Amino acid sequence: MSAVLELRGVGKTFAGVPALRDIHLAVGTSELVALIGPSGSGKSTLLRCCNRLTEPDGGEVVFEGSPVPAGGAELASVRRRMGMVFQAFNLYPHLNALENAALAPRRAAGLGQGEAETAAREALERVGLGDRTTAMPDELSGGQQQRVAIARALALRPRILLLDEPTSALDPELVGSVLRVIRSLKEDGVAMLIATHEIAFAREAADRIAFLADGEILECGPPAEILDRPKSERLQSFLSRL
Amino acid sequence: MRIFFDAEVLAAAWPGICSGIGVTLGLALTSIAAGVALGLVLATVRALLRGAPLRPVGGLIAAYADVFRAMPPLVLLVVLYFAAPFAGIELSGFMAAFVALGLVLGASAEEIFWAGITSVNRGQWEAALSTGLSRGEAFRRVVLPQAVRLTIPPLTNRAIATGKNTALASVVAVPEVLNQAASVQAQTASPAPLLLAAGVYVALFLPLVRIGRWLETRFHIR
Amino acid sequence: MSEFFQTFLNPGVMAESSGLLLRGLWVTVQACLIVVPGGLFFGAGLALAQTLAPAWGARSLSWGVDLIRAFPPLVLLVLIVHGLPFLGIEPPPLLGVGIALTINTSTYYGEILRAGILSIEPTQWEAARSTGLGTMATLRHVILPQGVRNVLPDLAGNTLEAVKLTSLASVVALPDLLRMARVAQGVHFNPSPLILAALLYLALLWPLVRLIRRLGGRAVLPA
Ligand SMILES: Nc1ncnc2c1ncn2[C@@H]1O[C@H](COP(=O)(O)OP(=O)(O)O)[C@@H](O)[C@H]1O
Ligand SMILES: [Mg+2]
Repeated sequence: MSAVLELRGVGKTFAGVPALRDIHLAVGTSELVALIGPSGSGKSTLLRCCNRLTEPDGGEVVFEGSPVPAGGAELASVRRRMGMVFQAFNLYPHLNALENAALAPRRAAGLGQGEAETAAREALERVGLGDRTTAMPDELSGGQQQRVAIARALALRPRILLLDEPTSALDPELVGSVLRVIRSLKEDGVAMLIATHEIAFAREAADRIAFLADGEILECGPPAEILDRPKSERLQSFLSRL
Repeated sequence: MRIFFDAEVLAAAWPGICSGIGVTLGLALTSIAAGVALGLVLATVRALLRGAPLRPVGGLIAAYADVFRAMPPLVLLVVLYFAAPFAGIELSGFMAAFVALGLVLGASAEEIFWAGITSVNRGQWEAALSTGLSRGEAFRRVVLPQAVRLTIPPLTNRAIATGKNTALASVVAVPEVLNQAASVQAQTASPAPLLLAAGVYVALFLPLVRIGRWLETRFHIR
Repeated sequence: MSEFFQTFLNPGVMAESSGLLLRGLWVTVQACLIVVPGGLFFGAGLALAQTLAPAWGARSLSWGVDLIRAFPPLVLLVLIVHGLPFLGIEPPPLLGVGIALTINTSTYYGEILRAGILSIEPTQWEAARSTGLGTMATLRHVILPQGVRNVLPDLAGNTLEAVKLTSLASVVALPDLLRMARVAQGVHFNPSPLILAALLYLALLWPLVRLIRRLGGRAVLPA
């Protein structure tokens, strides 16, 4: 299986404090990898190093066979094909759902207005919001907002989605709708790297789970192995506290 | 009391004040346009260079804003009009006033735009960049539209202040409303022209002041 | 370059005009000592009146405030200094300037203080009332101290504006810093005194600008 995204020895230090240490991790085509670990363990930093929103200070991130470029139009082009979904949605509050999803196809991918809107509309339909295209973000529920954010990433037809705790900011009854969308994307073969605290979801949907603690991947493997036969003490105590 | 509303004097003052209104409006509109444009350009440059190797440019822009916030507009105007000729720069009264008011408003506008830009959540930049937008596009399509909303009430107020400050131009012989009134007053030794001018200013600015107040409550960003 | 210095920062001219400029600076300081405390005093009165008045009273006060604000400060100044004598009132120039600029700046101080009062939660009023404090005592001991703290940056910002405003006094022949600089420039036919005066204003007000920044203030002041 060829890897869409591969981290080779990635490290990051904030003001002398290491947040990531020597991370090796690959995500294959159509694969869903879940990142679990206590808060502060480096999940967000790992995801943000992939598209260089956070600049890693060691190692290499390889996307579709080539290193992620440091900046400029080359980096922008990689970012288009690497969708990101944020914990707090980060929708553009001054744009409606369709405009949120059409902005990058139009202004980053350079599609015409019509094509961009078509791509955006299709993405919104895919997350079950085809009927809310003209809604402003503050008129939508948290779950709907997060689905618009997913559509914003999907409208660019990315090769992989990076999702940073996409359901952590949601009321419990809204979590299901977002997870359903993620599951259906997996069925369509979208590769995903997702930081999550939803262990049940990770068990059932993930191909592999990586456990992160203090910026290091302590264990990585199929859900059954990680969740049912944890080797390290850290993982055992992390799971027992859930 | 009659002396304040002397009909003959008022009639003599009226044509001058009317042409003064044109000058006042012309000076106000040009310096407001220039000042807002200057502030927007500077704040944009500062925002786009943030974190880049050209960071000191941001410091220079902030220093400009500080200096022109500390400088009384009249002092600046007087320096431009009376001192610049010694450097071979002869500015007409109108140009000197335009430059002074534009620079002062530019400094406030820069600060207001900058405050608006920095109050936009960092997550907005990150979301935009994560979809492959360039910094320029992210700024123009995502950050600036949100920033501008916050800047409308304070910017309106500074623009009104600039409009009122056109009266300073009377000091450098620009024939705007106050200057016209003062010259008729000097000829007639009557306060009537001044009162007429005051009435003109109220008619011009009272509606604007009310609008500014309304915007402040409407957008409420204390 | 040295020619530039000879013209704009001529040491001889600056030394000779320094006495004149210092006298002007003193007049400017005196004007500030009238306008800033005066503006705060009447501004506080205005804020209290607007807080305590019934709705229609507060509304008419706000129209009155806006009427004053519709005047460019220079127009208000000229009107008072050149208009009052026609009514047979001839205050000394410094007082005339003080009155005009105080009227102008107190409307801004008033609005800021009112915002400060309004920034205090109604529960503070209720708490004070429940201990038996009257309206004035509640305002004075509970509401104002907290409210003023909330608007300190804006108060400092308006004080900066008030000090800058005093430069207008030069227009009505008050021998303030700017006026004296113009006089010295005329005497020496050299712009150095003007530049020096501008630098003095900067030296005076730059620290205030920095202080406002430290307090978290913005140029987001009313017109
Ligand atoms: N921008 C930053 N500046 C300084 N420290 C940071 C920054 N971002 C993250 N960190 C630190 O890095 C560590 C990992 O954080 P993060 O990746 O957000 O963890 P998680 O997402 O697993 O909760 C934490 O100790 C956090 O305080
Ligand atoms: Mg996180």
